[in-house]
Amino acid sequence: MTKMRSNRLKIVFMLCLAFVTTGGQHFESKVAQLLQDETEHIKCFVEGKDLTCFWEEEEERNHIHDQYTFTYSYEKKNKMACAVSSLYLLASNKTILFCKLPKTPFFTTLDVQVLRDGRMLYTRSLNAENVLFLDPPRNLTVMSSGKEGQLNVSWLPPLLKYMDDSMIYEVRYAVDGSNMGKVEVIKVSTRLVLLGLQSNTRYKVWVRVKPDGVAYKGYWSAWTEPVFGVTPPSDVDPLIVLLVIFIGLILCLLSLTVILSHHKFLLKKLWPDIPTPEHKFPGLFTVYKGDFKEWMSHNNGSMWGRSVPVYTEELPSPLEVLSEVSLTSHGTSQREERKPVEEDEEKESERSDSGLTDRWRDPPHAHWLMEQLRALQENPESRSQSSLLQSHDTYVTLNQGDNEQQVDDVFEETLPLQTLFTTAGTSSLGTSHSDLGSLQQSSGSGRLSSQSSFEYPNHTWPPKGPGYAYMAVADSGVSMDYSPMSSSRISCTGPIW
Amino acid sequence: MQTFTGLVSVLLVFLWLGGNLVSPLRPICDLRVLDHFVREARDSEVIMRGCRGGCGAMKSYFVPLTSVDFAVLEHMDVNGQAVEVQTGLSLLDQALNNAMKTVSNSPLANALDNNISNIHSLGQILHSLDLQQARSTVLPDDSAPASTQTQEVSSLPELLQVQSSFLRGKVRLLLSAAPACQRQNS
Repeated sequence: MTKMRSNRLKIVFMLCLAFVTTGGQHFESKVAQLLQDETEHIKCFVEGKDLTCFWEEEEERNHIHDQYTFTYSYEKKNKMACAVSSLYLLASNKTILFCKLPKTPFFTTLDVQVLRDGRMLYTRSLNAENVLFLDPPRNLTVMSSGKEGQLNVSWLPPLLKYMDDSMIYEVRYAVDGSNMGKVEVIKVSTRLVLLGLQSNTRYKVWVRVKPDGVAYKGYWSAWTEPVFGVTPPSDVDPLIVLLVIFIGLILCLLSLTVILSHHKFLLKKLWPDIPTPEHKFPGLFTVYKGDFKEWMSHNNGSMWGRSVPVYTEELPSPLEVLSEVSLTSHGTSQREERKPVEEDEEKESERSDSGLTDRWRDPPHAHWLMEQLRALQENPESRSQSSLLQSHDTYVTLNQGDNEQQVDDVFEETLPLQTLFTTAGTSSLGTSHSDLGSLQQSSGSGRLSSQSSFEYPNHTWPPKGPGYAYMAVADSGVSMDYSPMSSSRISCTGPIW
Repeated sequence: MQTFTGLVSVLLVFLWLGGNLVSPLRPICDLRVLDHFVREARDSEVIMRGCRGGCGAMKSYFVPLTSVDFAVLEHMDVNGQAVEVQTGLSLLDQALNNAMKTVSNSPLANALDNNISNIHSLGQILHSLDLQQARSTVLPDDSAPASTQTQEVSSLPELLQVQSSFLRGKVRLLLSAAPACQRQNS
């Protein structure tokens, strides 16, 4: 029996001690906080229903607290004394002296005094209901409300009678791990819904309390211990998902339709065909694997009968470039070389739809001919030699010897050359005349030898013979000026100058 | 004779109705009304502190005691509290009226006037709480200052401070503890 009693007493004692220590912890923390914040010498606060006033002990004083006297009075009554105790604060390494009033009168002015050795040290007038220092709120809970970005926070007010409706709360919340917190102030009510939070995030929440300042005033309590809560993950509205999918499908269908209807055009733009001459050379690539000689030999005869383009003008005629100048060996060799080349050119000219420019032919022959002309200039004796080839084919003559005057004039400027060409019939001549008419003159130096169309200021061309038409093409040495008409003609006379 | 009795009976009916209809007021339990009065009493104190000239003569006023001991309060019954409050309010009303006679500063005079009307409103509120005993025992008396429940103050600032403390303390605790309001809340 006694054992049980002693056990019970022990338990009760431990509980009391625990309560006192927790109360003491609260007390100490409050004292510590007011020590920093309060500017008055006598710092007072009400905890529960009791007023506690304390002051800092000066360090040079080594005497114990019984020298100090604490008196208070209110409503013009007699002064009453209060027992002074001391407390050592570990955190700030200071000693404070305090007094707890046994029966604290509220709503009246209290006059408190601290006397040391009978002499007044500090004095203060205050109302007890204005210095409430509440404990932090209890039972803080944070729960998910089920809605996106929201948390339900609720708590209980500190244990105090008569003041439940005079309290104001401050809720602080921050993302776990972050230092940036937001604060919400709420009056009287002990629950709050936090809005506008991030989804699926862990939040820390604190709460503290203070009297609202109308009937009661006081200091902010300490923050509660943080409580964690997780916001629900964001749920996407299924209707929105469906709409997005639907619109996406429609857009895909539209784009497909557009692409299919214009696929040829788009393909042409994105992946243009490389033109091949395949259709003009039937069988060249397929049968003869690109061997042109072989193909030529096989297709020589039949080619002419097929796909001959219809010209409104005369048929192009074979052409031979002759050089009267110089070295017969050169000339003949050139001639020989040129024969197949001419044939090629003719054939090409037949086939080509667009005008061929002969510039690709120019370089090697132009260079050689220029040199010949220069040589001529230097050696006028060689002019007499001519290697004029008599045939009914078209001729290009470098006609220096016939007209010396003309030659001089010619050589003063750039190097004009004559082209001589003819065709089988006179009709061609006529057309050639008209064609010639459209030939351009190069800058100043051009002389066109067409008997019908052009003027010859100083001279006339001696006619070489029937069936010949003369045409001089001016060459500035850099470029050749031809009319577009002549492209079909002159093109077959590629090396014509 | 018959018409006379008829008239009398009609009159009686009216009196009975009148008697019954007047008394049951809806109790005013919202403390925010009182908080409004408390704020206005505090405004008067502020104006008093800033008043320069015409701020009332030094005069003694009899005012109620304002101190509240919560331990004692728990054991006190509501009606006793009601009596205290009613007496105190009437005392304050008298004191403020006396003070206004000596005040020439217009903002202060307006504030005091406001406080006086607030005290009258408080009387109505207490009446609405149906505290019967309180009503019956109130006997406003100018010439009887001697009471255990009074104290003497010698200046207008002190008077205003007493008014503020009284409203915040005793009046408020009574209103929050009134049975009519407790029934509503519970």
